[in-house]
Amino acid sequence: MDNEKYIKGTHRLGRIFTCIVLVLLLLAPFIIGLYLKAMPNMPAVIKGFLSVGIVYLVSGIVEYLIYVPMLGAGGSYLAFITGNLINMKIPCAINARDIVGVKSGTPENEIVATLSIATSSLVTILVLALGVLLMIPLQPVLQSPALQPAFENVVPALFGAMAYKYYRQSKLVSLLVLTLMTLLFCFVPSLIGSTSMMVIPSGALAIALSYVAFKKKMKAAKEAE
Amino acid sequence: MELLGKLNSPVMYLICGGIILLVAIICVIFGVRAYKAGKEMGIDTGKMKRVITASATFSVLPGVGILLGVIALSGSLGTPWPWLRLSVIGALHYETQVAEAAGEAVGLKTLSASEMTPEAFTTIALLMCFCIIWGMVLMIFNGKSYITRLMSPSAKKKGESAKEGEQAAENKAKKPSFADTAMTAMFIGLVSAYIASYIGSIVSKDGAFTFGGSPLSLAVAVVSALAMGLFLFVKEKAKADWIDSFSVAGSMLIAMAAAIFMGKVM
Repeated sequence: MDNEKYIKGTHRLGRIFTCIVLVLLLLAPFIIGLYLKAMPNMPAVIKGFLSVGIVYLVSGIVEYLIYVPMLGAGGSYLAFITGNLINMKIPCAINARDIVGVKSGTPENEIVATLSIATSSLVTILVLALGVLLMIPLQPVLQSPALQPAFENVVPALFGAMAYKYYRQSKLVSLLVLTLMTLLFCFVPSLIGSTSMMVIPSGALAIALSYVAFKKKMKAAKEAE
Repeated sequence: MELLGKLNSPVMYLICGGIILLVAIICVIFGVRAYKAGKEMGIDTGKMKRVITASATFSVLPGVGILLGVIALSGSLGTPWPWLRLSVIGALHYETQVAEAAGEAVGLKTLSASEMTPEAFTTIALLMCFCIIWGMVLMIFNGKSYITRLMSPSAKKKGESAKEGEQAAENKAKKPSFADTAMTAMFIGLVSAYIASYIGSIVSKDGAFTFGGSPLSLAVAVVSALAMGLFLFVKEKAKADWIDSFSVAGSMLIAMAAAIFMGKVM
């Protein structure tokens, strides 16, 4: 099989499989809806998408543009189907490429990236399946009322960890945005119930402040040269 | 609680497990095809076996980290759905944020099993799937032409060969640009809105400056941030990059455990 024929076949299979997974994934909530006798609330889906979905639309496009040249055809189809790109698939593919000393842009790289991501995805699926299997007997414990405060606070737990991770990258911008948003919620408490919608002005403010800081930094760097 | 029982029922395992099985089969097909093609192209099979072994060992620890994410979400969404979401185009930070936003849109105060309704669950499930499809959509409609353009002879003439395209992408990833700054800023905005809402609810929950709200959410966020700080400190001091695989899920679980004790006193 020559490389061209292989790539052509990869695109054909990749598109077919991606379409199938995409359709199944979007259908799953409706199938579950039939089982639970409750369909998704579409106005709420649209509202949710407009608040946080936009962020992931932008990051999805950026990820696509940056990572596809690194992963090649087969690797990209698999990586976008299985996810966990930045924290797992990209470092895994780069690590595999470095280990065998493959040069980028070669047919070898296409094969290595695909093998690496296919293996990584299978191992993850296996680890999760085994973990979930072991969790089944633990269900009564996980559902016990004593543990409910833990599960009710999963979101603050996430945002605390993320705050540390992102705030230290841009301390001044973080401090200003957090202070302004806190004042807004304190003075207009009715907004607390619509926090996800408040992500839009908060994000816009953070981007605007970061732009000013970025321009200043670039100007200072230019002057230093 | 009755709903949580349904969310953990065999039907849910069947629906979610079926999709995960299909994804596993796709991975096997792609892997076997690549191995066979590599052999026919004359690539050393020893090299390919090393790639498989290295990738498998590389993925075990992050896989366990992702499993901790399934545990973190299982209390509110049951086990099968987080299992599916974190196996197919998922990421823990994404799933939790989107689930929270969808929950809020259907009127839930917190993402918890005690407040969950069937309609809220299916809405959350659909939004979790819909918000993250863009990489797949772009691959279906633009992947072939994008990759072909990167590898085409005309692109090579313009200095955009696959190798140079990849190097440009890698350089782009390393070099600070406003795109990187904007992405960080977007997440700072997102996190700030939620942390500010926790402070706002302590100060003004029952009306402006009445100071009647519970500080538990903010305390949990602070514990999680401290745990994250500790993880990153150890990672940097011990040069242990593998800690990254556990830092988010680990911080969350520590903070969630702290919530059980703090909830009794707050």
